[in-house]
Amino acid sequence: MITNSTKDQPQPVASPQAEENVYSDVYRLLIAGMVVTNILFVIGLVLALLHPHYFPLSADWVRSQYHWRTVASGLMHGNPSSYMMLGTLLLILTPIARVLVSIYAFWVDHDRKYVVVTLIVMIVIILTVVLGRLGLQ
Amino acid sequence: MTYSLSFALLLLLASSVAGFFGALLGVGGGIFIVPAMVLLFHLPMKIAVAASIVSVIATSNAGGSSYVDQRISNLRLAMFLEIFTTAGALGGAVLALYLHEWAISLIFAIMLGYMAYASFSTRNLDDERIQKNLFAKAQPDRISRFLDLHGSYHDIAAGKVVEYVVCGARLGIGVATLAGIASGLLGVGGGVLKVSAMNRYMNVPMKVAVGTSKLMIGVTAAVSSILFFLAGLIHFMVVAPVAVGTTLGATAGTMLMNRLHSAVLKWIFSALMAYLAYEMLAKALMIGFGIHLPSAAA
Repeated sequence: MITNSTKDQPQPVASPQAEENVYSDVYRLLIAGMVVTNILFVIGLVLALLHPHYFPLSADWVRSQYHWRTVASGLMHGNPSSYMMLGTLLLILTPIARVLVSIYAFWVDHDRKYVVVTLIVMIVIILTVVLGRLGLQ
Repeated sequence: MTYSLSFALLLLLASSVAGFFGALLGVGGGIFIVPAMVLLFHLPMKIAVAASIVSVIATSNAGGSSYVDQRISNLRLAMFLEIFTTAGALGGAVLALYLHEWAISLIFAIMLGYMAYASFSTRNLDDERIQKNLFAKAQPDRISRFLDLHGSYHDIAAGKVVEYVVCGARLGIGVATLAGIASGLLGVGGGVLKVSAMNRYMNVPMKVAVGTSKLMIGVTAAVSSILFFLAGLIHFMVVAPVAVGTTLGATAGTMLMNRLHSAVLKWIFSALMAYLAYEMLAKALMIGFGIHLPSAAA
């Protein structure tokens, strides 16, 4: 399977197997995120279509759903908005989790340069969220 | 509003078209979804924009996972450029406080117009370079060599394994930062600029540029989404059909992408960029000078 070319290529630091780890970890995480969130969305959509009821298009209504107790009881009682909200939250967190998983996979592979590169990305993300949150208030 | 079968299905259908082209071209697809939601379903602009940003994550997960599996995405290149797109997005959000929107839109319209022309005029170059194995023969610059930026993927349309060496990292950093600024400032255009920068200046084959960009846009979109989510602007009743639709569309798009010749991809890509350049120009003229051009977004 592995065909090594004889051309003068830059020497890779990490071994080919090591890079496989990063690719397979990221792949598994993205697939998991895609499957889980879409299952939640489809359940929510089916429930919303079976029992159609009015919902307001306002930020206040959206924020009123932001309570763990509301979500938990909504999930138990088949409230479509709770399924959709959980799906949305997990969806938003998937790319962030992808960055975290990459840090871990590069670390396991002893690929120090990329642990640093990925850590910088993570720091900028955190900085943006914190500054953005301060700006919103 | 109340859910109806036609509302959910139409939104799902419109989003799957956006997801399909988004996966094919490595872009988010917000430029298709936002006008559809506002014009067809009369949803408020803010809710449409927020839902489209969340849907970018959905297409990034669906498209990115497939491209990572096929080794079309280059994870190291993605990580390296993500530093600059995320920092650029942060910078863009700050700049938005000081710059006039029409000026920014005009600058990006000119830039996109040039990129559309450049991509169209070099549309046959990728296939030629793949056949002659020229992507592997470039000289990497210092940064690319230090960070081991190179790779290979199996091109189905060309019927061979394509090896490539990344170069021009400095110019790539510049455009990646601009791409971040564009998405932070205007909410669109990040993916388009990233794909053209990688392909044009960094010796990255078109398909690798598409796959790598597809993966990267998820992170930028996630950061904006967190802020929208905290502000209560992400209406999950709207997000659900859009996310399912873009996932379906993106899955179909990824199955087709590697079977197409790069020239076909670049042709569609140039058309999309020219359209985006026109929309930006229309926006700039309307806000800055009160001139109305026919436009879906403005």
